Amino acid sequence: MVSQTKAIMRRFIRARGKQGPNPDQAVSHWRLMCRELKRHKLARVSLIILAVLYLVALLGRFIAPQGLESYSSEYMNSAPSKVRFIDAEGKFHLQPFVYGLKSERDPETLRKRFVEDASQIYPIKLFARGESYSVFGLFDTDVHLFGVDEPGRLFLFGTDGMGRDLFSRVVLGSQVSLTVPLVGVSISFVLGLLIGGISGYAGGRVDAVIQRFIDIVRSFPTLPLWMALAAAIPPRVGVIEMFFYITIIMAFIEWTGLARVVRSKFIALRSEDYVTAAKIAGVSDMKIIFVHLVPGFISYLVVAATLAIPGMIIGETAMSFLGLGIRSPATSWGVLMQEAQQIENVALYPWKLIPLVFVIVTVLAFNFFGDGLRDAADPYSHENSLKTAGRKGKRKWTRRSKPLSM
Amino acid sequence: MRQKMTIIFMLLLFTASLVTGCFGGSGEANRNEVTKEGEAQSALASNDEQAVVSASGFKEAPMLAELVKTGTLKPVEERLPNKEDIMVEPVFEQIGKFGGEWNFPWNGPDDKWAIGMPTEEAMFRFNQEGSAVEPNVAKGYDVNEDATEYTIYLRKGMKWSDGMPFTADDVVFYWEHMLIPETFGKALYDCYYSVDPVSGEKARADVAKVDDYTVKVTFKHSNVMFLERLAIDNKWFFAPAHYYKTILAEFVGEEQALEKAKEYGFEDLNNFGVWTGYYYWLYPQRPTLRPWVAKNDMNSDRFIMERNPYYFKTDGEGNQLPYLDRIVLTKMQDKSHKLLETLAGKVEITTFDFTDFTVLKENEKKGGYRVIPWTTPSWSSTGVQLNQTTEDPKLRELFQDIRFREALSVAVDRKEISEIITNGLGEPSQAAVPAGLPNQQAGWAQQWTEYDTNRAAQLLDEIGLKWDAAKKFRTFADGSSLTLTIYQEDTTDNEKFIELIRKYYESIGLKTDVKIVDQGSYFDLKYANKIPVSVKSVNVVNVAFRPDELVPLRVITPWFGHYGLHTSSQGKEGVKPEGDIASILEYWDKVKASKTKDEVQQWTDEIIKLHQKNQWVIGYTGPTPVLIVAKNNLKNVPTLVSSDEFRGIGHAHPAQFFLE
Amino acid sequence: MVRYISRRTLLMIPVVFVVSMIVFFIIQLPPGDFISGYAAKMSTSGEIMDEQALAQLREAYGLNRPWYTQYFTWIWGIVTEGDFGYSLSYNRPVADIIGQYMGVTLMVSIVTMLFTYIIAIPIGVLSAVKQYSFFDYLSTGIGFLGMATPNFLFAIILMFLSFKWWGDPMLGLFSPEFADAPWTSAKWIDLLKHMVIPVIVIGTSNTCELIRVMRGQMLDEMTKPHILTARAKGLPEWRILIKYSMRAAINPIISTIGWSLTTIFTGSTITAIVLNLPTQGPVMHKALLSQDMYLAGSWLLLMAVFTLLGTLISDILLAWLDPRIRLERKGA
Repeated sequence: MVSQTKAIMRRFIRARGKQGPNPDQAVSHWRLMCRELKRHKLARVSLIILAVLYLVALLGRFIAPQGLESYSSEYMNSAPSKVRFIDAEGKFHLQPFVYGLKSERDPETLRKRFVEDASQIYPIKLFARGESYSVFGLFDTDVHLFGVDEPGRLFLFGTDGMGRDLFSRVVLGSQVSLTVPLVGVSISFVLGLLIGGISGYAGGRVDAVIQRFIDIVRSFPTLPLWMALAAAIPPRVGVIEMFFYITIIMAFIEWTGLARVVRSKFIALRSEDYVTAAKIAGVSDMKIIFVHLVPGFISYLVVAATLAIPGMIIGETAMSFLGLGIRSPATSWGVLMQEAQQIENVALYPWKLIPLVFVIVTVLAFNFFGDGLRDAADPYSHENSLKTAGRKGKRKWTRRSKPLSM
Repeated sequence: MRQKMTIIFMLLLFTASLVTGCFGGSGEANRNEVTKEGEAQSALASNDEQAVVSASGFKEAPMLAELVKTGTLKPVEERLPNKEDIMVEPVFEQIGKFGGEWNFPWNGPDDKWAIGMPTEEAMFRFNQEGSAVEPNVAKGYDVNEDATEYTIYLRKGMKWSDGMPFTADDVVFYWEHMLIPETFGKALYDCYYSVDPVSGEKARADVAKVDDYTVKVTFKHSNVMFLERLAIDNKWFFAPAHYYKTILAEFVGEEQALEKAKEYGFEDLNNFGVWTGYYYWLYPQRPTLRPWVAKNDMNSDRFIMERNPYYFKTDGEGNQLPYLDRIVLTKMQDKSHKLLETLAGKVEITTFDFTDFTVLKENEKKGGYRVIPWTTPSWSSTGVQLNQTTEDPKLRELFQDIRFREALSVAVDRKEISEIITNGLGEPSQAAVPAGLPNQQAGWAQQWTEYDTNRAAQLLDEIGLKWDAAKKFRTFADGSSLTLTIYQEDTTDNEKFIELIRKYYESIGLKTDVKIVDQGSYFDLKYANKIPVSVKSVNVVNVAFRPDELVPLRVITPWFGHYGLHTSSQGKEGVKPEGDIASILEYWDKVKASKTKDEVQQWTDEIIKLHQKNQWVIGYTGPTPVLIVAKNNLKNVPTLVSSDEFRGIGHAHPAQFFLE
Repeated sequence: MVRYISRRTLLMIPVVFVVSMIVFFIIQLPPGDFISGYAAKMSTSGEIMDEQALAQLREAYGLNRPWYTQYFTWIWGIVTEGDFGYSLSYNRPVADIIGQYMGVTLMVSIVTMLFTYIIAIPIGVLSAVKQYSFFDYLSTGIGFLGMATPNFLFAIILMFLSFKWWGDPMLGLFSPEFADAPWTSAKWIDLLKHMVIPVIVIGTSNTCELIRVMRGQMLDEMTKPHILTARAKGLPEWRILIKYSMRAAINPIISTIGWSLTTIFTGSTITAIVLNLPTQGPVMHKALLSQDMYLAGSWLLLMAVFTLLGTLISDILLAWLDPRIRLERKGA
């Protein structure tokens, strides 16, 4: 049985190396999907939002005015700067500006109070110079998208408890929070395709064993798993490695859902007439799989994967809540929300909840985009077909198997 | 302060010599006078007026009066000790009134000390200044000239919370059947040993009953600090014999004891012994002397402790304490719950860390409470300790180099730390004995506090640390990489501080890693000597009372690492102390063998001076207060010092708290 | 059908066995054990334990044995005597603790689940009937918002708002004055008040999915020929809606009830910690943290059984409601 599995895997791998899916068939299907997708208004908007978010993440160091370690005792817990167009004398400025900030401690409560000094005006400049950073490891620069001249301060989202600019942290945090799910989903995608495929195509005993294995993983409580794996992570872990571990943990839980989709699809398609015909014609298993089967449902897989991403984003924040995962000064949305969740911050410094908005927007965008994709991938979505069996099945498959958030 | 200490000490000495000199044999006839002496002295020490007990008419709580009416409870006179032996507890502001509940958020039985400490009744307790002990459960004591014989007098007619008499037998029983056989899993406390001044050999004390209300503790050599150390090591120097005779295997037999253990939910006798013997206040079955006694299962969501009808203290007007009827302990999963409940004004009195200061202060009016800062005997609020015996030999050599410690000290901008981490509450300063405590050294707090990275760089160069190829981090002299790994427990709130010092250390080229581990792992790692750097601070009132954090006697405080193991294993394991560390241990032996308190003071000063010289414990900001948050209608809450030795909030004598 | 159910039930046994073994192994995976954590906790409260005391405790609890020995002793106790072992942190048999928290846990789960369904089904139906209306956008929007907000933060925000507006953060399930009081109407109202936040937080994270499924199903059903026929015959619209389209559309929802139960049951751990609910979540979390492995192991074992049972129930319901799936299964 094991050797059988191995054989199939070997064939899988070989086939992938040699011959990809027939481009003609795939392209026409994808083109159809694209056309459908364009009609879906919400999905279109979502796609634009996601594109912007990922662009911001990509250009993080350029867009964020500050780096990760700009602590300042002077500007702790400062509310978002007021960006103004009209100054104290009522004069309108075309270029937005902020006033100078002075901080003092309330002697009674020790809270930092910030007073704007209307005599100092700091216009917000594009391509301002600030902290230097390296661009993709190629060269160093200190040009940022926007900023104000020293000693002026611009905190679009206010600052955190150590005086760091929250906007910068949100931007830099998105680099982790937006990529963890993508990498995680890719891993689970491969795992799901492979294991689900083997299970569905081989059937019989192999299928039964894999199904039980999936049962085990599915009924496996995520919480202790996270905790155990977090404890197993070695002491000297950089951000990148930590990120890698988190991704693996997430993917380990998520792949089962995809595997089920793949398996059911395999089972459903295996008995289709055209597959039987191909078999009788003596087409090899590999060719059947990759030319006839996979293209038939790959779009569903993409949909299922897209819909799995929001769960992973929320999962990352839940891990941060439990104190697992990335830690400050490195940042992610989860780390920022961990700070926000303290009652003290909710009560006194509500702007620390801004990262939550980003999480919500991203999750929603992925959801709507996924929905759009699903509708687009569904060949029956715009005809009132009588054939409901397939539909019901499809809905069942794309149902997320198990939410990651605890 | 030191002067004051000396005066108090002189008075004590005078009283003691008077007592022993005049009444020598401590016969039956003299006891009352002795008691008065003792009480006068305690009153003197606590600077409170001696309250007068009226000849008749003790008052009791309405809930008890009702029980008396129905005949289920004896009248109050019969429940209190004999009139002249009642302890009159001075109130801080005013005589209170009965009734009310104390809502007490806790984490459940894991948090047993949180409720254990405020309800504790010690044989001897610390006075309000914390400078000396005063009798509490004991009525008084006397001690012979060379401090080898302590006679402890108990209160006549005093009763356990089940109404059974409390006598000398309960003390002797505790000594013979619980302390010596280690029934509750603790080795005999250090305070019961005296040290031979010549050979340094330890000799165990003897405890004997003189009569029903007198116990004598005899030492082979002088033990001048016995009462103070008893007040820390073994406050509860007594146990209800009548109760333990029904559950200990020694009396009822193994089988029956095991059955009893099962009844309590235990599966073995060891744990049964530990819990009922050591954490006894959590069991409703176990009689205590405390103001409130357990009423139900400690694992319930609401664990209730109710007033002890036999409590032995009254206020100055003869009202039997405590004033509050009940303590209701509600389980809280997260510390934010305690904060929210307090903000909502649902908690009568509790303590908070200074980090919650602003949010507590901002909601003071809304919640109807007041924030009372108590000072702590902490050497610093933020700081680092370098393990002097850390495993890596190169790192160990570096840590033992005083120049390296100075470099770490001057490399940090203390003002920034003070502002960001302590909201400006902790003054920028070095880890030092805080003002007002014994052994304070002038100028220590300013040692190496100037922020000067050039000085740090110069020191590191002097040590011979080189730079790596990228000129980013320092390496050892031989070019091998150098990393400081800070270990931190996940339960503590030090993350921001570590983030900051990491930045400072890396800016002088010291690569710094942080590993966050759970409490248990931290504990294990500490024992295995695997923690090079940690961020704990020293918290001690007087090294003579509690040497653990400053003298390497066992594995506890991170800075001395396995030197402690060397001492506790009698040289079989661990790292052999040398130089100043060895001197500290020598001085400690001299403290133990001291014949007078002056000697104690002298040798503890020597220990502290070595700490000043070596600065093994580096501090960045001075101590921050602990916040006592009390509802506005809760009265008689003083401002004191918060420390474990004084039992936290217990130092305020919660029995005299009352709700207006 | 009977054969199918019994076969599936039998297949569950080895799965449960393997899960329990892995769970037990993983709980002990982090360094240290219960005793070291316990000693550390005690040392922060000023109580110091020496090596000897620790060794004694380990011996007493059997923690010095290898994990598989401990595992087999434990599982053997469960199989032969129904003895779930002994909780080290509670010093009580595990079964007692489970008993103490099971009631409230089930109550919270069931109430939340009812809420989810009662809210989601009508909203799904209505938003399908009034497709693309304001109501459609509003209701699905709220549903999505509930799903997209991480539960713990949502709970904290609601808790804080409750404190801010009414001066009471609504922690736990009862106000102190009612906790030990007999069941009166005031106590019921108090309980209901305290249930609002957990129900909203746990509920909304699941309603979204249900609303979406319900809405999709309704949209499908409403354009089917038999509905057109009914409409052509002049049946009133509400009757068509309830008698034909809803009945058919609700099928997949009913059949997935099993899954929902498990997600609600297992998915509320963090929320329960945040809201201080006396349910299994916090107990288990604490047990995991302190490596109280019999308690944590038993809970996780129960959770795994619940998950498997839920899946089984769903599969059975699916097969029972829809003969096509049954056939498909036989084919597979």
